[in-house]
Amino acid sequence: MRRVSALVSVFVLILASLGLVLAGPGSAQPKTELTVALSSFSTEVLDPPLGGHLVKYYLSMMFDYLVGTTPDGQLSREGGLATRWESSPDFKRWTFYLRKGVKFHNGDEVTAEDVKFSIMRNIGKRSTTGYAGPLRTLIADIETPASDRVVIITKEPTLIIPTYLSRSLSTEGMITPKKYIESVGDDVFARKPIGSGPYRFVEQVTGSHIKLAAVDNHWRIGTPKYKTMTFRLVPEEATRIALLRRGEVDVVEVSRDRVKEVEKEGYPIHYRREEAILTMWWILGPDGRVGPSKDKRVREAMNLAIDRAEIAQSIFGGKAEPAAIPLGLSWSFKDVGFKQTPDMLYPYDPARAKKLLADAGLASGFNLDVYAYQLPGLPEGKTMAEAVAGYWEKVGIKTRLIPVDYPAFRKAWFDRSAPGMVGYFNIANRDWIGAYALLEKQAYSASKPSDTVNDAEIDGMLSQVMRQTDREKINTLMRGVYGRLRSEHLGVPVVYLHSPYATSKTLGSWNAGSVMYDLFFDVLASGK
Amino acid sequence: MLRFLVARVLQSLVVLAIISVVVFVLARATGDPLYLILPMSASQEDFDNARRYLGLDRPYVEQYLSFVGRALTGDFGTSLRARRPVGELIGERLPNSLKLAVFAMTVSLAMAFPLGVMAAVKKGTGLDRTAQIVSVLGQSLPTFWVAILLVEFVAGRWQWLPAGGIDGLSSYILPGFTLGWFVVAGLMRLLRSGMLEVLDSEYVKLARLKGVDERRVIWMHALRNALIPVVTFAGIYFAILVTTAIVVETVFAWPGLGRLAYEGISSRDFPVIQAVVLTTAAIVAVVNLGVDCLYALIDPRIRHAR
Repeated sequence: MRRVSALVSVFVLILASLGLVLAGPGSAQPKTELTVALSSFSTEVLDPPLGGHLVKYYLSMMFDYLVGTTPDGQLSREGGLATRWESSPDFKRWTFYLRKGVKFHNGDEVTAEDVKFSIMRNIGKRSTTGYAGPLRTLIADIETPASDRVVIITKEPTLIIPTYLSRSLSTEGMITPKKYIESVGDDVFARKPIGSGPYRFVEQVTGSHIKLAAVDNHWRIGTPKYKTMTFRLVPEEATRIALLRRGEVDVVEVSRDRVKEVEKEGYPIHYRREEAILTMWWILGPDGRVGPSKDKRVREAMNLAIDRAEIAQSIFGGKAEPAAIPLGLSWSFKDVGFKQTPDMLYPYDPARAKKLLADAGLASGFNLDVYAYQLPGLPEGKTMAEAVAGYWEKVGIKTRLIPVDYPAFRKAWFDRSAPGMVGYFNIANRDWIGAYALLEKQAYSASKPSDTVNDAEIDGMLSQVMRQTDREKINTLMRGVYGRLRSEHLGVPVVYLHSPYATSKTLGSWNAGSVMYDLFFDVLASGK
Repeated sequence: MLRFLVARVLQSLVVLAIISVVVFVLARATGDPLYLILPMSASQEDFDNARRYLGLDRPYVEQYLSFVGRALTGDFGTSLRARRPVGELIGERLPNSLKLAVFAMTVSLAMAFPLGVMAAVKKGTGLDRTAQIVSVLGQSLPTFWVAILLVEFVAGRWQWLPAGGIDGLSSYILPGFTLGWFVVAGLMRLLRSGMLEVLDSEYVKLARLKGVDERRVIWMHALRNALIPVVTFAGIYFAILVTTAIVVETVFAWPGLGRLAYEGISSRDFPVIQAVVLTTAAIVAVVNLGVDCLYALIDPRIRHAR
């Protein structure tokens, strides 16, 4: 009988606690805290060289870059440790002049030695960052002639050094404390990271959250508006929106199809316009392009067969724009003076697509395997693949959807084990150097295994970009590459994706910027 | 008894050894984790470096022996994704899962006992039918759907309870209820059928004839004897709640073992997958061992028969 009573007591207790909670109001968010709910933290590693290429949201709060950028991706003398930089006439020596009096969170001053140590560490062999490989190949030596001066010596003339070490790309330019890392080791540093950014590390609970606290009067943002900044990992969208409604978070990622509903409730929606280009490509064979896509008419037909406006509207809820240039990162267009004219947009013309296929001797179509998979930031991935395959079916191409996960596609792509098959990716938009870095990997034949474009003319232009130090000539070459990608139909650009973020009603204006994998919460927190 | 115990422990160890091979092979059969870890721009050299650094360039047999050898000392290696010792990650997540499972099981027991017993006692009445409906719904409604509905309405629209994360007792209610409902259904049905059988037995009739108070007959004499299958079910389900609450932990942003498994699988983090599966298997094996021993203690015929 006693056991039964105990059970009843437990039940009553639970009901009582439920009642207490139901009676209480939802916890109000103090204005001095900023809480951001994200669907993924990527690797959750807090060490720049290991944090990889997708985690700048919180790392850029803790660490300063050698070269800063504005939220729209322009290199800035105000946003980084270097207040100015210059190259030698042969573009093989880059000198960076460091801001004086900047301190790490443990009180140590940031010196040229820290910068040298950080860069070497960030591009070292164990690094998994986006551009460690090219920088490792390019950098011959780093000199520190004074405590506030760093000279980077390259093996070849180059213009890319400031951008590659800036906030506009990956994490190679993040500066970490040499003495601290050497004394505690890499493992301890990854758990208790110290940087010189406007927010210092407080706590990480893997799978749950990362909490940061503001540094008083930081050179980047002055007296911060938010004393703490917490990044919460909330994979489920319904939960993120519920947290926003309850006032527990201030910024959440929302999917394109729930934007209207959230907006209707009065929550401001901030867009990162054209944050990524969703583009498809054919896997090359071991020795280059094989199969029907070798024929330019087939490539054009496959582009004309797709109704991009319909895809943008019905699959992406109108939060996307038709794309015209294969691998065309639109943020770089203005940098190089490339103008995407209306006639470059592929019309939806299945009749002409059929004619082109017939002209190519494929009137009865051909077999085409289409990989279908989801991607981070692209929950619509499989639906889009199904829709595109459906359009191709309509013009006689016999498509077969192959449901896989992305790594399986990437392996087939890199191994060239499925020549002619089609896959896709939502490539983050970026500036011209970032765009060049992408093209070098995906459109330059020598860059096996990631090459997706086999075109001698493009190879020639890209190889010149590498050696060129005259910006005008670079712009001309880049415009040439984009023009050729479009005129030869060297891929299937689908849409540019706008990424929506919902914020609390009291957050105010926020410029999420246009730098890949960064949301510039420091600018939002700035008291300057 | 000792021989019986030793035999069961050995059986459990053999099961764990087999599982270690299976999980090692299957984890690698899913593909190469470097295609997720490294950026699109990574070169072949980057792949080779990362493979070497992460120890993935060694022969499979060597990798397996190294994994088993270290696992025996409690070292499950380093997570490929989080770059932290896997043992540490499990140490962080397992208590969260345990706490949630304890809460869910408490809720389940607190609901299942009165419902199950009263459904049997009031067989055929409205109460019985209500209990049956609760039971059918609990076992047939998908957990993810229940979880999403609770988040959407109870947390989001009505704002009665927290939507996710661990922040005080109130944050346990929605995930605990979601997890517990399925168990309530099972426990209640077992209790009801067990009670119906016992209530019809000779000794209960005798107790009633002797004039024993009806409440005492139900809650002491009958319930006690209907409990054996319930205890077994609850024990096994507790292990399941601790180890497989992937959906609930994902929806409610609960940093538990289930989420760790999900993260490990989606990023092909072999050391994490191996460690979580082995930990899960060990927990289930220990619970089963405990249940077996309990049986053997309760009923000597069982240990002799084996």
